[in-house]
Amino acid sequence: MNWSLILEIARALMLARIKQTLIAAVGVMFSITMFVALLGFMNGLNGLLDGLILNRTPHIRLYNEIKPNPNQPIDQSREFSGGVNIIRSIKPSTSRLSIYNSASIIQTLESDPRVLGVSPKISTQVFFNVGTIDLTGLVNGIDVEKEAQLFAFTDYVTEGNYGDLNQINTIILGKGAADRMLASIGDVIQVTTAQGNRMQLKVVGYYQSGLGDFDNVNSYASLSTVQKMLGEPPSYLTDIQVKLHDFNLAPPMARELEEVFEIDADDIQTVNAQFETGTQIRNLISYAVGITLLVVSGFGIYNILNMMIYEKLDTIAILKAIGFSPQDVNRVFITIALSIGLVGGVAGLIFGYLAGLAIDQVPFETQALPTIKTFPVDYNPKYYIIGGTFSLITTYLAGYFPARKASGVDPVEIIRGK
Amino acid sequence: MSVLEAKNIDKFFFNATTTQVLKKVSFQIDRGEFVSVMGKSGCGKSTLLYILSTMDTDYKGELILDGELITGKSSEYLSRIRNEKIGFVFQFHYLLHEFSTLENVMIPALKLGKYTREEIEHRAMEKLRIFDMQDHALKKANQLSGGQKQRVAIARALINDPLLIMGDEPTGNLDKKNSDIVYAKFKELAQDFGQTMLIVTHDPEFAAGTDRTIEMEDGRVVSFE
Repeated sequence: MNWSLILEIARALMLARIKQTLIAAVGVMFSITMFVALLGFMNGLNGLLDGLILNRTPHIRLYNEIKPNPNQPIDQSREFSGGVNIIRSIKPSTSRLSIYNSASIIQTLESDPRVLGVSPKISTQVFFNVGTIDLTGLVNGIDVEKEAQLFAFTDYVTEGNYGDLNQINTIILGKGAADRMLASIGDVIQVTTAQGNRMQLKVVGYYQSGLGDFDNVNSYASLSTVQKMLGEPPSYLTDIQVKLHDFNLAPPMARELEEVFEIDADDIQTVNAQFETGTQIRNLISYAVGITLLVVSGFGIYNILNMMIYEKLDTIAILKAIGFSPQDVNRVFITIALSIGLVGGVAGLIFGYLAGLAIDQVPFETQALPTIKTFPVDYNPKYYIIGGTFSLITTYLAGYFPARKASGVDPVEIIRGK
Repeated sequence: MSVLEAKNIDKFFFNATTTQVLKKVSFQIDRGEFVSVMGKSGCGKSTLLYILSTMDTDYKGELILDGELITGKSSEYLSRIRNEKIGFVFQFHYLLHEFSTLENVMIPALKLGKYTREEIEHRAMEKLRIFDMQDHALKKANQLSGGQKQRVAIARALINDPLLIMGDEPTGNLDKKNSDIVYAKFKELAQDFGQTMLIVTHDPEFAAGTDRTIEMEDGRVVSFE
């Protein structure tokens, strides 16, 4: 097939109607621009909102849960094994919160190729003694460097220096908790643990996650400070937080670790199922809007091609008379449609990228999101690939019916009708 | 040897009532013949020409071109035959206005793809030279006068060295002077190049200058001489 000739004819037809062709291309360009900008913006926001929770959430959390022993003595007795045993008023067995053999678990995890990093943690309930009032709170003992590296801890320390946390007897207070206690940086506050140990801690910073409830309760101290506070040895850990390279592996791996270490393991998907759903629905909406835009521009192309075919009936008839087959004519018009799609699509992608850059400059400051200064935009190439592909698909479909009509033109009818 | 042979061609128009416009039309044209088809308007001569040109496939009977039965072939195949073996000249010039004169002449040859682009350009210039149109080669088709357009159209019909040139009243839309020029060119093609031609006309003067005149009346061939 002589494609260069088909292209040449398509080009000549487009140049003869350059204004309409350009308008069609601008239509495609506009919709692709909107598509790319919209998806980039939407997903930037999605990423930001999900990040609020997901950045701070370990992919797998290992801990000991306080729960009743599932193996009650009666179930192990041969005498009663055949029946349905009902036991009332079972109490949780005395188990400790600390993880057995934590050092070797961490070592094993760190050598696992699926694991990005491991961060130990101690979670404990405390009272903050403020004058005559006791405020309840949670103090998280963390490995500062690892927490910063894996869970973006530093992003959320809005005032003070997170490095100061490595000194003994220091604390970073949640913003809400600090406001209630009227504690400013440099103040010393008194903390009482559930076991009754009292301790003086110096405030070295504020922590603000953007989730008010979280910030009212949670505070951070170093592992050793919390161990000291509880009177526990340096091996004492209540949680091991694991971050994976691919967080989709979390559910099966959590089951695996549960068995290997005989410990409780939560994966991120189970704990935060609702975020996944929210993201999916927001994605769905932005795709729906983007594709609607493309379909509308597709109708524009359809109209313009139809008009072109009516104007160029003579040309089509003569092409057929001098030996162009219906398929060749079809190809000419499909080529026109695809060229409009290609030019409009490429321009749209460029303008979409520029629109993304522009949105990225719009200031967006909110109390809840201390690290964000401008609107977030996601420049994932995926959206550009989808946008480009869709521009070609819609223009192909928009060109399909006019092209079929053109290929069906009966030259005799046109030539005689003159 | 016959170039084109029509056997018992019947053609019906279905327009509210069925009318038969061609009735058992049979004739043949030999190589090198310059044949005209004459008849009153509405006698079916144009209809016949479109059937012979393979563009109209809705007929009964048999059509043999260059010894090959072409009735019932696919439209793809017929397109190729039109491109390779038939040159067509219409009453209303029918050049492609989007292209230059030269490109108009080149397009059927580019479609055929037998020669390289340079060769085709060279051949197209030669054909234009036959019709004294070489100076207008780079003009757009719509900048030419009617007579000039028709001369270019004949040059285009010749580009693939077709077996047969068909014309549907090629001088019908031209004034006397241009008509004479076009007529002279046809004559020249017949005499100097031995080109087989079948021209529909209702100009008795034109018909008189051809080797043979097929006369039609009411859908029938009434005379071959």
